[in-house]
Amino acid sequence: MVLSMEKTQDIFDPKPKKFIVWLFVVSSTIMFGGFTSYYLVFAASKGKGHGLVLPDAFIYSTLLIIASSVTLTLASRALRKLNFSLQRKMLWLTIILAFGFGFMQFVAWGSMVKTGATMVGNNAAISFIYVVPLMHLFHIIAGLGFITSSLVGSYKNITLAKNKFRMEITSIFWHFIDILWIYLYVFLLLNR
Amino acid sequence: MSTIALHDEHNHDHADHGHHKETLISKYIFSMDHKMIAKQFLITGIIMAVIAMGLSILFRIQLAWPDKNFPFLETFLGKWAEGGRIKSDFYLALVTIHGTIMVFFVLTAGLSGTFSNLLIPLQIGARDMASPFLNMLSYWFFFTACVVMMGSFFIQTGPASGGWTVYPPLSIIETAIPGSGLGMTMWLISMILFVASSLMGGINYVSTILNMRTKGMDLWKMPLTIWAFFLTAILGILSFPVLVAGVVLMIFDRSFGTSFYLSDIVMGTNILPNEGGSPILWQHLFWFLGHPEVYIVIMPALGISSEVISVNSRKPIFGYHAMVYSLIGITVLSFIVWGHHMFVTGMNPLLGGVFMITTLIIAVPSAVKTFNYLATLWRGNIRFTPAMLFAIGLVSFFISGGLTGIFLGNASLDINLHDTYFVVAHFHLVMGSAAIFGMLAGVYHWYPKMFGRMMNAKLGYLHFWLTFIAAYLVFFPLHFLGLDGVPRRYYAFTEFEFMKKWLTVNVFVTWAAIMAALAQVAFLFNFFYSIYKGKKAPQNPWESNTLEWTAPVEHLHGNWPGEIPTVYRWPYDYSKPGHDADFIPQTVPFSQTMSSNLPHDFEGNEEAEKIQQDWEIANPVTENKG
Repeated sequence: MVLSMEKTQDIFDPKPKKFIVWLFVVSSTIMFGGFTSYYLVFAASKGKGHGLVLPDAFIYSTLLIIASSVTLTLASRALRKLNFSLQRKMLWLTIILAFGFGFMQFVAWGSMVKTGATMVGNNAAISFIYVVPLMHLFHIIAGLGFITSSLVGSYKNITLAKNKFRMEITSIFWHFIDILWIYLYVFLLLNR
Repeated sequence: MSTIALHDEHNHDHADHGHHKETLISKYIFSMDHKMIAKQFLITGIIMAVIAMGLSILFRIQLAWPDKNFPFLETFLGKWAEGGRIKSDFYLALVTIHGTIMVFFVLTAGLSGTFSNLLIPLQIGARDMASPFLNMLSYWFFFTACVVMMGSFFIQTGPASGGWTVYPPLSIIETAIPGSGLGMTMWLISMILFVASSLMGGINYVSTILNMRTKGMDLWKMPLTIWAFFLTAILGILSFPVLVAGVVLMIFDRSFGTSFYLSDIVMGTNILPNEGGSPILWQHLFWFLGHPEVYIVIMPALGISSEVISVNSRKPIFGYHAMVYSLIGITVLSFIVWGHHMFVTGMNPLLGGVFMITTLIIAVPSAVKTFNYLATLWRGNIRFTPAMLFAIGLVSFFISGGLTGIFLGNASLDINLHDTYFVVAHFHLVMGSAAIFGMLAGVYHWYPKMFGRMMNAKLGYLHFWLTFIAAYLVFFPLHFLGLDGVPRRYYAFTEFEFMKKWLTVNVFVTWAAIMAALAQVAFLFNFFYSIYKGKKAPQNPWESNTLEWTAPVEHLHGNWPGEIPTVYRWPYDYSKPGHDADFIPQTVPFSQTMSSNLPHDFEGNEEAEKIQQDWEIANPVTENKG
């Protein structure tokens, strides 16, 4: 009797878990909405934004993260065609691009520090350019966790359904943080 | 009537049944079963409630007898009560931690965590949550948050003391008051753990409700408890992240020297370097969570009382759809009213007017709910179980506390009432007492489901009447202090001439609070004694319609042996004319209740209506039912 109940339980249903990732995306969006609304209210009440020409490194990091989304899409496509070795290669490439993105963020902060626009100062809008992209970088680290789990799954030859499921949630999350960065970058460009 | 089918042909074993071997640790500690996690949340919540109540008794003693020494206080509190008198710094810590624990740990995690976990899978017909692992993690983050928060009592400088809303600059400048030091850091760590726990829980609840309902359980057949938990979880998902955003900026201000919330501060003769920020921005971010938070606290209690009142009035809930729409209305409105906490921050009066209007509109869905409760009770065959008394108590507090909300929501009246005891009285009734009563109603009602035994009803009555009376005796007089302008969070009333006349009232209130605290002994004894010695619970002790009572009393992982029951009808078919029993569980198909079916039961299904009409012609009503 107990066993028969567990039979139905063991059918792997990815839908509710995928939905969880979507809800996480929603709540994370709200958090960054909170940050940017802080910025808007701050800028409106003080009559000033960060007032900087953003370092070029942010352009490069933006290009890198867009490229990482492309390679991740290629990895998903490779999995659909059951080309596991290409899937793994593309996932590795995504990881490398992600590290490149993180590196470029630090380069950008470094060049800001050189121009005197440091994190600690009398303009919270400039501190914002350090703190909020740093929070975004934490999401990148979480995203790397997802990519790694896809990669490990692919190497360990887990069932195709589970491999696909891991790729799907990785894709949802990674494309989200890609779009999130573009949003933040454009936001900072527009709200000087 | 049971539609549970046992399919024994499925009885072949599977190789991957790792979770058959339950160890002590996997069953009781790192459990991934939603029923066990619910109990963990409940018992942790009860322990935290007892602690927070103890803290309130300590500061009530100080308020009532500011000039008296109580040597036993020094025994317990050491240097925080030298000579038997609570220090003013510690007094501030007491009110801060009392508020934090009650709002977040008891009425958010203890209430939502317990009943969402217990009831969502059982009432929608699911084996467990969407992600049992996240669910387990949610509890352990909550537990760790509790430990960190309580840990701040064991450090040199004491717990956070800037009030539960932790307004800057007190919460940021570490040397401002003793509580601004390590205690505040621990508060922030604890809150981040707590928010992570709430989000994991909330995301799980929403995903489970939307994706894992059993066959036949469409959204409009869900019990109101589930609706309430669902909307509560959505509120949490949409508002807690904003608090995280605010807390992150605060942590940078505290620890890395940024100036998001600070500007132009002089400490003694020392001018702080922070410049350019604004503490008001913290208030915006905080209350954007903070106001939805009070609905996160009250909505599960409203859902629980809807269910309990309907079951024990033996009547369908009055206005089921109106109940759902009013919950949705409260959910939506809760996001556009946060400014009413900030009327006196120098807000543009026009903006204040907007927030005032949105705030007062909340009276509409609240009143819809109140009248629907009363209409459900009206001419019901009421069974005054302890759960029912607590649910009615909730309605009472919701009315008496809600009315003063209309005063406070008024931007001009708030100039006088802001930060006075009037506010304290208001929210302790409408959100404190009402939500606690909803939670207690839930505990008494679903105790048989949780522990397979019944609680003692007589002790329940004792508990209810003492608590109900004491709660009014504590909080009602505070309105008058507030109207007289007595500010909240003041350490002693002896220093101000106009406040001295309220000292005797404080003595009265403190005695009432002690009575309320003693009344909880009846509950605690009843709760823990009944786990082991209570009367064994029958399958469906309250003759209720919802799905959880079709699951076996003995808990098993996966809730139902065999298939999950199918749902055919809404959960409120109580005292339906033409049926022999006064309740028809959701699992009973209409084909078994031909004598009581009504045209609208079939939702426009013409074939079913035709079958019903044919049956009615073949079975004319002979007896006169009067």
